[in-house]
Amino acid sequence: MSAAKAGIMVVLAVPFAFGEYALYQMSLYFLYAVAAVGVGLCWGQVGVLPLGHALFFGIAAYLAGFVLIAGDNAPWLLLLLPLAALVAGIIAFAIGILVFRRVGESGPYFSMITLALSLLAFQVTTNWASLTGGFDGLKDIPSLPGLDSTMANYAASAAALVAVLAGGHWLMASPLGVLWRAIAQNERRVALFGFNTNLLKAVAFGISGLFAGIGGTIYASQQGFVTPQVVGFGLSAELVIWAAVGGRGSLVGPVIGTLLIGTLTSELRDTFRFWEVLTAVSFIVVVLFFPSGLVGLMDPVVRWLDGKPKVRDDIEAPVSVRNGAPPRRLKIDQVTVRAGEVLILDRLNLDLGSKGISCIIGPNGAGKTSTFNVVSGEMRASQGVVTYGDLVLTRMAAHRIAATAGIGRKLQFPSVFPDLSIAENLAIALWSGRASASDLLRPWVRRWTSPLLRQLRLRYAFLSSGARKASELSHGERQILELSMAILTEPRILLLDEPCAGLSPDETSTVIDVIRWASEATGCAVVIIEHDMSLVLKLADAVYVLHNGTLLARGSVKEIQANEDVRSIYAGNRK
Amino acid sequence: MQDLIAAQTINLIYAVTLLAVLSLGLAVIFGLLGVLNLAHGEFIMLGAYCAVVVRQNGWPFLTAIPLAILVCGSIGYVIEVLIMRRLYRRTFDTLVATWGLSLLLRKSAEAVFGLTYRSVETPLPGTIDVFGVPYPAYRLAVIGLGATAIFVLAIWYGNSRTGLRIRAMTGNPELAQSLGLSVKRLAAGTFVTGTCLAALSGVMIAPLVPVFPYMGLDYVLRTFFVIVVGGLGSVIGLVYGALAIGGLDSAVSAFSNGTYGYLSVIVLAIAFLWLRPRGIHVRG
Repeated sequence: MSAAKAGIMVVLAVPFAFGEYALYQMSLYFLYAVAAVGVGLCWGQVGVLPLGHALFFGIAAYLAGFVLIAGDNAPWLLLLLPLAALVAGIIAFAIGILVFRRVGESGPYFSMITLALSLLAFQVTTNWASLTGGFDGLKDIPSLPGLDSTMANYAASAAALVAVLAGGHWLMASPLGVLWRAIAQNERRVALFGFNTNLLKAVAFGISGLFAGIGGTIYASQQGFVTPQVVGFGLSAELVIWAAVGGRGSLVGPVIGTLLIGTLTSELRDTFRFWEVLTAVSFIVVVLFFPSGLVGLMDPVVRWLDGKPKVRDDIEAPVSVRNGAPPRRLKIDQVTVRAGEVLILDRLNLDLGSKGISCIIGPNGAGKTSTFNVVSGEMRASQGVVTYGDLVLTRMAAHRIAATAGIGRKLQFPSVFPDLSIAENLAIALWSGRASASDLLRPWVRRWTSPLLRQLRLRYAFLSSGARKASELSHGERQILELSMAILTEPRILLLDEPCAGLSPDETSTVIDVIRWASEATGCAVVIIEHDMSLVLKLADAVYVLHNGTLLARGSVKEIQANEDVRSIYAGNRK
Repeated sequence: MQDLIAAQTINLIYAVTLLAVLSLGLAVIFGLLGVLNLAHGEFIMLGAYCAVVVRQNGWPFLTAIPLAILVCGSIGYVIEVLIMRRLYRRTFDTLVATWGLSLLLRKSAEAVFGLTYRSVETPLPGTIDVFGVPYPAYRLAVIGLGATAIFVLAIWYGNSRTGLRIRAMTGNPELAQSLGLSVKRLAAGTFVTGTCLAALSGVMIAPLVPVFPYMGLDYVLRTFFVIVVGGLGSVIGLVYGALAIGGLDSAVSAFSNGTYGYLSVIVLAIAFLWLRPRGIHVRG
């Protein structure tokens, strides 16, 4: 028996186990739970904390109230009811786009804006009495036809909750869910794989708004009245508490939090004065010390109920859009980058050819990593242009450069997604350039494989132990995992920032092999930043020397070794 | 007409000064420790309740000041040691933790004082003529005190040894520690200073507004927007921010009503996130 089935049986048992009043209470708290699941999805999956989520619950409740009242005379209007929830979701999505897009900000600023909007909505609904009924709210809202008994209401709420949980489960199991969790851990890395992270975050926020909207829509019919309280701060805060205490990382966590804390609060609020102080304390304790919440304590039970996960066969991934396309010239033309008064790149010209392996060397502070940052769109040039073939990269967002130009990158410090499994890490790389928007909603896309992946697994056995978390890997293994991920995207130009830093001599020589093999197997051009001259000797077809943000010399390894200028900047180093 | 303009001008100066003073505590903690203290509004609320308590017991108004420092300073210290200390540099976690703290303080105040609105009798009754307009004496005192406090803080931060140490700590905590600065003590001191500033501004506004457990919510948002618009890290930015937010709010509210004033403030803050995410005044 699975945990899901056990949950559904509990829901079915409630009507028989408890009386009418409990049933009524449960119906209400199921709706709050639906909204709390939305908060949990946003916070637990994407790492964005919505502090004003009642806004969407309330918007949908008011809209549904209007529709239901109007529908008394014109029953066909009731068909518009689902729009109430949908509008809430669309508004949430729009807010997400608006706030995330510009600065990608998803920390304090986003949370504060959601909080402010919820307070604003409270003011609007209180003051705009002609429309909303003011402080007393909309009253005498007729219930949906057929939903006039306690039992029917309970069934409707339970059905909504089960539907939202099923939808949420599907999202979390799909590639989209994996990308959300990846964003929460390392948003930059996700963007460098060519995914529009701001859009993905806005989608998450939109869906969580939709969930809250579904709760709000049914609420209007069930309660028969809607007051400004449902858009305001109080409910917003409670949704966050319920999600946190129950466990924001899972779907059922917020449900358990809502049912437990919610019902206890309505029991104890009047008799025990310090009850809410106690919930606040428990919130702080849970957030700081038990991020997985109450549901985390039940993990062993859930695992026992669910049994062992089935291992399914891999599926061949479609061919990458970039497969076989010949790399074009990557040209950096008169690029200047400043940070305050400091010149990081000073009218740098770099023509990175279109095949083979080039190495960029130069002393610390020469501007090597900054050059990569400019190319991949993470650093803005104040002057000059970067072009790839006839594509101008200079004004493009990082994710578009990765996706359209096919510029892959391995960062200087191994940057994988520590809390995702090895298989998930590799899958994210495979989706880049292959997965369509609808593929991101198909759970089986997580089982994709490709010829390159099979060969990488032959070279590195640890890549096959898919269920292990990336955080369990050693430093060297993480370097190799990230390199493998960069290769799997089948980039046209592969930028590697010190791929062998911190590796043992053995590991270094296998990495050199892999880089060579990858450049031949995928036909991509490779650009490597490297300090280790022995590596440069083995790998480089061409060498570029940067110094003080400009190109000092270029040529073959031999030419560079003979170059007086290069020797003088490395003087005393004699490499 | 002239009277009206004069009255409106003083009102504006008053609104802006008040907002700047209310923001000081938040700015100190956010700017120096990188912690967005969502419980800032609740420390203001506690400060205001100190004034309520003092007046209820018939003590002079000014005794609320040491009481507020004692209460909010010690709460701030305990919070710093128990919670904040382990969270510095984890922006998101500090956000959640201080939000929980705000809830805790609010609910505690509710449990102790109840939900009723309290008012505090003004310590300086009567009016003073300014440009021929009679203006409440206490509000004038607020303008004077507030401006002085902002000025003193700016000078102190720029010139004192402690100011230098704090700047060293925020610039590079590890290096500051290796130079023998007690980063722990400095951070605790800064946090406590922030909570005390919030509490003092709370004492200051107690005679001007209704005091109730939920009053802090509004303040934390407004002061946060002041900092967003003004830019972090300088007192002058704070004043600009207060000018923009307070000015816009008063102007729009004067022509329509408070809801639109509030809406315009939110729109302005979002616009700043879009156009100047680092605020009006960016320090070097």
